[in-house]
Amino acid sequence: MIANGEILFSIDNLSKSFNGIQVLKSVSTEIRSGDVCVIVGPSGSGKSTFLRCLNMLETPTEGNVFFEGNKINDKNCNVNKLREKMGMVFQQFNLFPHMTVMKNITLAPVKLLGMSQSEADVKAMELLQRVGLPDKAEAYPNQLSGGQKQRIAIARSLAMNPDVMLFDEPTSALDPEMVGEVLNLMKELARSGMTMVVVTHEMGFAREVGNRVMFMDDGQIQEEAPPKDFFDHPKNQRLQEFLSKILK
Amino acid sequence: MNIFADKLYQNFIVDDRYLYLVQGLGNTFVITIFATLLGVTLGFLVAIIRSASDQTGKLKAANFLCKLYLTIIRGTPTMIQLMIMYYVIFVSMDNKILVAILAFGINSGAYVAEIVRSGIMSIEKGQAEAGRSLGLNYTQTMWHIIIPQAFKNVLPALVNEFITLLKETSISGYIGVMDLTRGGDIIRSRTFEAFLPLITVALIYLVIVMILTSLEGRLERRLRSSDR
Repeated sequence: MIANGEILFSIDNLSKSFNGIQVLKSVSTEIRSGDVCVIVGPSGSGKSTFLRCLNMLETPTEGNVFFEGNKINDKNCNVNKLREKMGMVFQQFNLFPHMTVMKNITLAPVKLLGMSQSEADVKAMELLQRVGLPDKAEAYPNQLSGGQKQRIAIARSLAMNPDVMLFDEPTSALDPEMVGEVLNLMKELARSGMTMVVVTHEMGFAREVGNRVMFMDDGQIQEEAPPKDFFDHPKNQRLQEFLSKILK
Repeated sequence: MNIFADKLYQNFIVDDRYLYLVQGLGNTFVITIFATLLGVTLGFLVAIIRSASDQTGKLKAANFLCKLYLTIIRGTPTMIQLMIMYYVIFVSMDNKILVAILAFGINSGAYVAEIVRSGIMSIEKGQAEAGRSLGLNYTQTMWHIIIPQAFKNVLPALVNEFITLLKETSISGYIGVMDLTRGGDIIRSRTFEAFLPLITVALIYLVIVMILTSLEGRLERRLRSSDR
């Protein structure tokens, strides 16, 4: 178990280029256990790329990412093993459409944690209770609403008992009336002490739930502050413009 | 009507001539089934190597071999491949049916490979990312997440390939295998009557294809149960 406040991620001069276009420019920061770190910023600012570098869905061009002391962009690093400890929730949910909800949740624990199917089923039912969808166990993803899909996706990640959850714009593909149910679940998750890194456009969530809010623009973290300072006294000029545009 | 009955009798009953068709059909089945198994195995293997190479940039040498295989097989007529197999590569092999199975299986593998690869590419990137982000490795992600969905998407094309394969085995006669087509042809050469033997052979192929098509329909409906 990771003690609260211990460094989970250490990001050291992280840069990423796609076909010569630099999307991340030497980003350095740390994420500690218990943090709810919310990353906001305009489209194309590199915030999703930053998140995806944390679990090596993107390979850093330069710099290093350490997770629980392991350099994850090292050739010899067993990334698969470390990914078991990092849940990820996607904008497009990415549930497996050919499996029932139950199978979606239990696949990884059975294959990777050596759980029996019945143990995994029990755990999955608990998670379904937690996300409020116990009656959907035998449903297929395409029978669910967007909000339900995203709650199942969160349950699927939680089934691996991760040390940290990464959220990549989890509410951006949802109909407005479904955003609330997903945000409420994320709030509950944060209150339970889960370490979270959340890329989002939900400023209310950032202010209420985050303990750190980062503003990314032009591939760099332009400003980072506790939510109160971040929203009430933004220092960076581009952040001031950004906030004035979205908090009309 | 009497003439027709007489012809039926001449073509199929006299000297037990129907046995040519029965034996021929048996051989056609054996060649088709084993060539299909070989084709599917080869095809999936090649498709996975090709997509893995495209996605990760690794396996360059294997990918080159796969491309070479696809080019040669798809670039030359099946009949030539069959004859090369029989007259050049396996000169000393007596088992003609085995030669036919190898020739048709290797041929079909190339087409299956491209069908399966198109299926793999049709699955959105997010599916693989979701699998990998849970900690599954490349093989587990392919096996549990990508291939089942890809298979469903390409099922009609695959069945089409098997139907083509079934009908293509009718050239087995060129290396002296008595398949269904050759069986009908032998009857024709004995009775000097073309209509009945050839039409009968054609009908048998048609019925098999119709059965295959209806089986595919059922399988497809079952796989679609998650799409409701």
